[in-house]
Amino acid sequence: MANQHITLEGIGLSLGYSQLGKRKELLHDLSFQLYSGELTCLLGPNGVGKSTLIKAILGNLKPWEGKLILGEQELQTFPLEERAKRIAVVLSEPSYPSNLTVGQLVALGRTPYTNWGGELSKEDRKWVEQALSDTRLGEMQDERLGELSDGQRQKAMIARALAQDGSVIVLDEPTAHLDLVNRFEIMTLLREISHIKQKAVLVVTHDLDIALETADRFWLMNCGNPLYMGRPEDILLSGKIQDLFPGEKYRFELERGKVELRQVPDNLPIKGPAVGVYWVKKALYKAGIKELSEEIVIEPDFRLTYKEKTVASIEELIQLIQAAKN
Amino acid sequence: MSFKISLFPFALLLLGISFLLNLSMGSIWIPPVELVEGLVSGNWAKNSWEQIILHYRLPKALVAILAGIGLSVSGLQMQTFFRNPLAGPYVLGISSGAGLGVALLMLAGAAFGVSLTGLNSWAIAGAGIVGAGSLLVLVSLIAWHVKDSMTLLIVGLMVGSVVAAVVAVLSFFSGAEALKLFTVWSMGSLGALTWSQVSILCLLILIGTIPIIGSIKSYNALLLGETYARSMGIHTSRLRWWMIGSTGILAGGITAFCGPIAFLGIAVPHLARMAWKSADHRVLFPGSAIFGASLLLLCDSFSHFPGWASSLPINAVTSLIGAPLVISLILRKNLSKDF
Repeated sequence: MANQHITLEGIGLSLGYSQLGKRKELLHDLSFQLYSGELTCLLGPNGVGKSTLIKAILGNLKPWEGKLILGEQELQTFPLEERAKRIAVVLSEPSYPSNLTVGQLVALGRTPYTNWGGELSKEDRKWVEQALSDTRLGEMQDERLGELSDGQRQKAMIARALAQDGSVIVLDEPTAHLDLVNRFEIMTLLREISHIKQKAVLVVTHDLDIALETADRFWLMNCGNPLYMGRPEDILLSGKIQDLFPGEKYRFELERGKVELRQVPDNLPIKGPAVGVYWVKKALYKAGIKELSEEIVIEPDFRLTYKEKTVASIEELIQLIQAAKN
Repeated sequence: MSFKISLFPFALLLLGISFLLNLSMGSIWIPPVELVEGLVSGNWAKNSWEQIILHYRLPKALVAILAGIGLSVSGLQMQTFFRNPLAGPYVLGISSGAGLGVALLMLAGAAFGVSLTGLNSWAIAGAGIVGAGSLLVLVSLIAWHVKDSMTLLIVGLMVGSVVAAVVAVLSFFSGAEALKLFTVWSMGSLGALTWSQVSILCLLILIGTIPIIGSIKSYNALLLGETYARSMGIHTSRLRWWMIGSTGILAGGITAFCGPIAFLGIAVPHLARMAWKSADHRVLFPGSAIFGASLLLLCDSFSHFPGWASSLPINAVTSLIGAPLVISLILRKNLSKDF
């Protein structure tokens, strides 16, 4: 990552919409840098203006103030065809023509380069092949989109973006419809692409834990605050991450690296290994048990003892406690 | 891909057979063999056959081919542009405008003393073209303000129903004779055109198809939706003007000359998608054109079944065949998944 450089830069951006003459400003005085060879994750609550920012980055929304610089030049000065050769996009919406094959979909990525009929040149075909192999979809190029799983389809969409050969790939919640394993898969793939292909990859996501595992840089957006940039770990340790969770209900648990409900008065006497104590406490809290008359002991082989009775599951333990109460 | 292209000879064969069948069928059956001989060499077995073919059936068959092509490709571009499997050439309400033009001429004209017997086919076609043209301008003005394609679709449907309501009011206050004339027009007819009108229709179809040929790549990109298409360098707003112009000329022109012809524009693109199992518009546009022409020829042949004293109205026949087709398609597979 020695030769990483700023690919896209925002300087003092103000963004918003005007309807019937009324101007509604959503984002004010935003500045940021997007680096090549890095996976950047954009995090923030719903309605904070992430999609608006993405629209501006794609060139579909003209900034009211400030500038977006792509490479050396202002973004808005690029004609649409030229912008398409520099910025590719992947959206979360799962709508697709089921008759299209993976190969044809990826070939669509060459649209900015082909003639009026969309005929692929030798060079175009090479790019399509390369994109398919980079996303490990080579075997599937004749399968139809309707026959793929959501995860494979989203990979094909990423391959299409790769074939477009831009320096920037923007993904708007690409994993929103996917299961946990596929979320990891897609994000690792994106990380690979950004590092190996030296692309600037910007992902809007709500998966904080997966983003922590994969991202090189975070962009944090919050109501009323400008965009905050930094390495994920810096943002964690400085406590800045808590800005994502306003109010008292939730907090980011540093040790576990995930968001939790603000927990439980710590007055439940439970003894045993730390992991066991943590989960048993959580289960009792959810079951509405707020106090215990006696200590619970967790044995190493996951046997739970309460009031001299031993059970083998939390289920039974909760029954035991409730029976003792009545 | 090679497999899919190899379907085209069969489709063209189907078109050829439908064409000959269409020429042969009618109140008098003319055997296809002698028909071909007459067309090629100019030696007709019977003098009356030459008259029937050259002055009536041949222009009618050509109109069927032209209208079939125009309505199908127009339907395909609407379905892709609006990403809606039920869109068709009539959704923008432009051909309702043709209907309004004709209704004004026949119904309101009668009230102001225009002689109904004096109405020739030129006047009717002219009124249709003026009507479609004005609606084209109106829809364009609305499209200017509306950025979202779904809103445009709804506006088009609403404009269409307003126009239909105006026609209904006109009908309500019309005399029996004018009303019958308009009702017959609204049932559609392929056979009422003279050779010079056929050539004008041909010109309109050509002009209306040019924007489509120029935008095939854009329609392919549009399969993924407007945002993706724009991100791949497609000027979707420019494409929308091409689409409005093209469908206005195609559907408006065909309605002006032949009256409304239902269902073809919606059903044929689905048939082409199923036959070629493709979403590629380089295949679907020619495929839909061939299927559309064949289907309209076959529907017209059916409406002129030998031995029947008179022919059935073409608009009714296309609906009779088209509606069950669309229903069976919907039952067989999830149409919306095609988009």
